[in-house]
Amino acid sequence: MKKKEHVTLWERYLTREIGIEFKACLYFFAILFFYCVYRMIGGSFEASILHMTEMIFTCYIIGYIQVYVFANCDEADHLGVREIAGIITCTGLYLLVSYLGSWFSREMLPTLLFALYLLLTYFCVVLIYRTKRRIDDKQLNEELRLFQTQHKKSE
Amino acid sequence: MKIDIERISEGEESIRIRYKDRTPAITRILEILENDGTKLWGKWEDETVCVSCGDILYLESVDDKVFACTADKTLKIDASLTAFLLETADESFFRCSKSMVINVGRVVSLKSLSSNRIDATLENGEHIIISRRYAVEFRRLLKGER
Repeated sequence: MKKKEHVTLWERYLTREIGIEFKACLYFFAILFFYCVYRMIGGSFEASILHMTEMIFTCYIIGYIQVYVFANCDEADHLGVREIAGIITCTGLYLLVSYLGSWFSREMLPTLLFALYLLLTYFCVVLIYRTKRRIDDKQLNEELRLFQTQHKKSE
Repeated sequence: MKIDIERISEGEESIRIRYKDRTPAITRILEILENDGTKLWGKWEDETVCVSCGDILYLESVDDKVFACTADKTLKIDASLTAFLLETADESFFRCSKSMVINVGRVVSLKSLSSNRIDATLENGEHIIISRRYAVEFRRLLKGER
């Protein structure tokens, strides 16, 4: 019996969910790093479990927003209006939650620095994905040449 | 035109064509008989023309009509994309979306896009997007795992 070659709807859904999970982990660690630095500068070497729980849930929810509302803005091929709007909106949402959850004791300076840090993180993520795609381009084209050569030989 | 069909139980199978003038219909029949399976017939500017499958850049289905595009012609063909793929049985032809089949042999370059899609640039400069659904299979084809 011929093996089923098409990717099923379930597999596509799963791939998307894994992508969101990966995003949540990525942004959670980035935010946690900033939070830990903030705490250490403030003289505390303890992190609030409540804050961390809020962070991971926020990352998940914003991950869904990024994927389903802003068409994966941090993985976009080009930074257009929609992508920039997505990045700014998501940064705004993170700021809002951080302020309401008192991650940075509702102080203005750390919150502002957090915003800049998030924008920088998004910029880095965009660059990382772009670099990954460039490497993938090279590999794809090498495989294409090989396929074409092999196919010509077999003709 | 009179058609005689005779079923034989032994001896060599043969086809004999008797004609007065070599009309386009006769020419087409002869082409089909001589065809090694790498030619495709289609309509182009009210004429029935034949192209080599290797010259086809891509095939597209629009409103239940299938068109085969070469560098200089767009032929309307009487077959579905699935039927074409089954008939040619050529690995170079890859279904890249619901309504399109590309000739991988005529792809100049590939570009990886976000969401695991692939942009294929054909020899005539046209860009064909291989959707995420088909990109996985396309990568397998290139790797020879298909």
